[in-house]
Amino acid sequence: MAAPLEMTPESPAPEAILEGVSGEAIEGRSLGQIAWIRLKRDKVAIGSGIFILFLLLVAIFGPYLVQDPTVYHSNLINPTLSTPYGRFGGVSLAHPLGVEPVSGRDMLSRVVNGARVSMLIAVLATALAVTIGVVMGIISGYFGGWVDAVIARSMDVFLAFPLLVFAIALVGVIPSSAFGLSGNSLRIGLLIFVIGFFAWPYMGRIIRGQTLSLREREFVDAARSLGARGPYVLFRELLPNLVAPILVYSTLLIPTNILFEAALSYLGVGIIPPTPSWGGMISDAVNNGFFNIDPMYMIIPGLAIFLTVMAFNLFGDGLRDALDPRSGR
Amino acid sequence: MGLAAVGAAATLALAACGGGSSSSSTGGTATGFNAAVNSVVNPSSHKSSGTLNFASSAAIPDSTDPGNTYYAQMWNLTRLYAMPLTTFKSCPGPCGLQVVPMLATGLGVVSNNGLTWTYHIKPNVHFEDGTLVTSQDVKYAVERTFDRAKFPLGPNYYAGLLAPQNATCAKSMAAGKTTGCYPGPYVDRSKNLMGLNAVQTPNSTTIVFHLAKPFADFNYVTAIPQSAPVPPAKDTGANYQLHPVSTGPYMFQSYQINKQLTMVPNPHWNAATDPNAKQLVSKIVLTFNVNPNDVDNRLLAGDIQVDLPGTGVQAAARTKILTTPSLKAQSDNPVSGFEWFMTLNNKVPPLNNIHCRIAIEYAANKTNNQTAYGGPYAGGDIASTAAPPNVVGQKHFDLYEATTKSQGDLTKAKQQLQACGQPNGFTTGITYRSDRPKESAVAQAMQAALARVGIKLTLHGFPTASYTSNFAGVPNYVHAHGIGIATYGWAPDWPDGYGEFYFIADGHAISPVGNTNLGELNDPVVNTLLGKFATETNASVRNSYTSQVDMQIMKDAAFLPIVYAKALLYRSPQLTNVYVQAYYGMYNYAVLGLK
Repeated sequence: MAAPLEMTPESPAPEAILEGVSGEAIEGRSLGQIAWIRLKRDKVAIGSGIFILFLLLVAIFGPYLVQDPTVYHSNLINPTLSTPYGRFGGVSLAHPLGVEPVSGRDMLSRVVNGARVSMLIAVLATALAVTIGVVMGIISGYFGGWVDAVIARSMDVFLAFPLLVFAIALVGVIPSSAFGLSGNSLRIGLLIFVIGFFAWPYMGRIIRGQTLSLREREFVDAARSLGARGPYVLFRELLPNLVAPILVYSTLLIPTNILFEAALSYLGVGIIPPTPSWGGMISDAVNNGFFNIDPMYMIIPGLAIFLTVMAFNLFGDGLRDALDPRSGR
Repeated sequence: MGLAAVGAAATLALAACGGGSSSSSTGGTATGFNAAVNSVVNPSSHKSSGTLNFASSAAIPDSTDPGNTYYAQMWNLTRLYAMPLTTFKSCPGPCGLQVVPMLATGLGVVSNNGLTWTYHIKPNVHFEDGTLVTSQDVKYAVERTFDRAKFPLGPNYYAGLLAPQNATCAKSMAAGKTTGCYPGPYVDRSKNLMGLNAVQTPNSTTIVFHLAKPFADFNYVTAIPQSAPVPPAKDTGANYQLHPVSTGPYMFQSYQINKQLTMVPNPHWNAATDPNAKQLVSKIVLTFNVNPNDVDNRLLAGDIQVDLPGTGVQAAARTKILTTPSLKAQSDNPVSGFEWFMTLNNKVPPLNNIHCRIAIEYAANKTNNQTAYGGPYAGGDIASTAAPPNVVGQKHFDLYEATTKSQGDLTKAKQQLQACGQPNGFTTGITYRSDRPKESAVAQAMQAALARVGIKLTLHGFPTASYTSNFAGVPNYVHAHGIGIATYGWAPDWPDGYGEFYFIADGHAISPVGNTNLGELNDPVVNTLLGKFATETNASVRNSYTSQVDMQIMKDAAFLPIVYAKALLYRSPQLTNVYVQAYYGMYNYAVLGLK
């Protein structure tokens, strides 16, 4: 069991193992181990993975290390033009990414705090979407018949739903406190629900397709002939074989959800100020026309979204290649 | 008050109207920064064969139909093709706040204890097709305003002020309904379309208005473009906006809604009958839905001469103009007529205690509030009174050191908190329009400023469209959510104390839905003084009421003034006869010419 892990990345062995040339090592490697070896050789994916890890650390611990994102520094703002004094949006030692126009709030701390909000919403919304998607997809694919018809059609309905319009309307009508929550915790919960609840059909369709082909396989027949019933087959036989697509598409769903949260914040139905969020910052820069006179105010949160989305996408691609070599590069 | 019903309409279009005068004194030299605020720049009677180009980053905000519009830019523009009974005098400086006759030969003559207003119209004014304008055409224009289904966007003063059509109508109006009232000329086809009983036309040049109650401000009501004559035979209802029959110096040649409007000189217009407008160019073209930064660039490059909305240039052009002396000398920074303010609600604990309200007055950081609105040029000067300086009779005072200690006075704020019994501060909410970045910024600035004395402010942002209809303007909602502060703004329909304060400070204006008196101020002193405006005709007495009401509102700490709004306008060097008309707070479009 320990043998494959001792292999160094530069060793030519893994390729040989996969080709089945080196006979003795074959039975020692699980699918996961093979995937991990492939992933390790994908430098782009590993780089993205490290960046994502860094981002998660920033989201969790960053807000404790930077200054208060809501404190005004009016003395750093030119009152006539409402823009920061100095170059690049008022970059200084105290404010390494400069300050926000109008208020003079520290950009670094706003970007770091924005990371927490964006990641929290994106990750939890993805978790919700994946949970619903997997359960619905696996049931739909395995049982077929009218169950499949109902679920598959409802997926179509969800996919055809004008989600953005719905989200704007929903956030507009929900009162400032409901379900025992209020203010931003309610808003975050609502965003997680809206984004997650409408993103599940993407996952559901993929899982349904995979299940459709898996359920015809011999090991499923074997389990059934041994007397295994629905839930056992679903969760013990099928689910472990679906881990790969679940993992890959979760990774690819996260950046979509980050962008969706940014879009909602941009439209003014995201996080309530003064809590920072990346989309909210861009929205402010565009709506106030600041992107023309203080471009850093838009570039910095824009860059944060760009890098995050790209890292998740590249990592997801790498993961897919590693888990499913047939998909090709 | 009959006018209460108008409240909802007035809120819809806060951009309705306004005036402006400037505190700057550039003297008689008609060049340089702010030159066009108090004097005419490039006065000329030269008739140009050129085209005067307007552009707007939006479409026409409501309608080109003089009967269906409630925006200052449109009221300004309609004077190019419509002649209401009265208007605001075409002249720079405070003179432009004066109401003068336009289609009428003189201001309305009041009789019958203030209940009857009589106007005589000029006997030699013609429509663009050469037909003579008669008093019936004016009556018909007034009748049209009763059809709120066809024309929902204009003000609704006539239906509230004129005597009820009959006893049924009087009864239903008392209950806030319109059953049995005059439905407008499209439904009531009787008497040759002259079915409105409260307006009589004894001959073709006389029109008589019978009011339900005295209303001394009636000359201001007839200055709204709704009193401009409409020939019944040419009325096409909702489509009339495509070609309003002109009585002004220009007439419509072509109009594609949301795209372009072209006007050409009206051959039947007579300069002698219309001293408030000029006919100096051979064509006027208005282009709509141009990218806002593109509007500024074209303006600076000389491709267009006027930015139609008159609300000032965008941030990019503003920076360029303010940092380039030659461009700054070609710009004006008039007050727009708006005041941005917050109301402190005396019905929401703990703000029901005046000391808690005064604590907020002192704790607010007025400089940060001003910066949130765009600073001194794009935002405006820090305000200390409830009325802006262009309201006739307004006097400057500063009860809470807004201008002298603009960062706030935390010591005094804490003393007031002590007196209020909340020495460690309290929690309350603030509403603002979340789709307006400036209001979002000012709400956050207030949150940061009040936190300095322990007052915790929760933010409640709502879309503009439902702000007064569902949230800030619904007292029950405000009380249930403990929202003590509301962000708001106001420009009066006419520049006196009544026009400024009735909807935002009179106790009678409080309504359960669509409320405009957001602070729910119901001070008998204010109510009584505003009530006296209906019958008082002496100008200096009226002016004293205005400043007394203003002072009482601030003593009540019911308003937290933010800024007297200003706009940075670029004055194209190609224009002649350019000046800011104080009533509109933008250049007077009726008199512009080209070099």
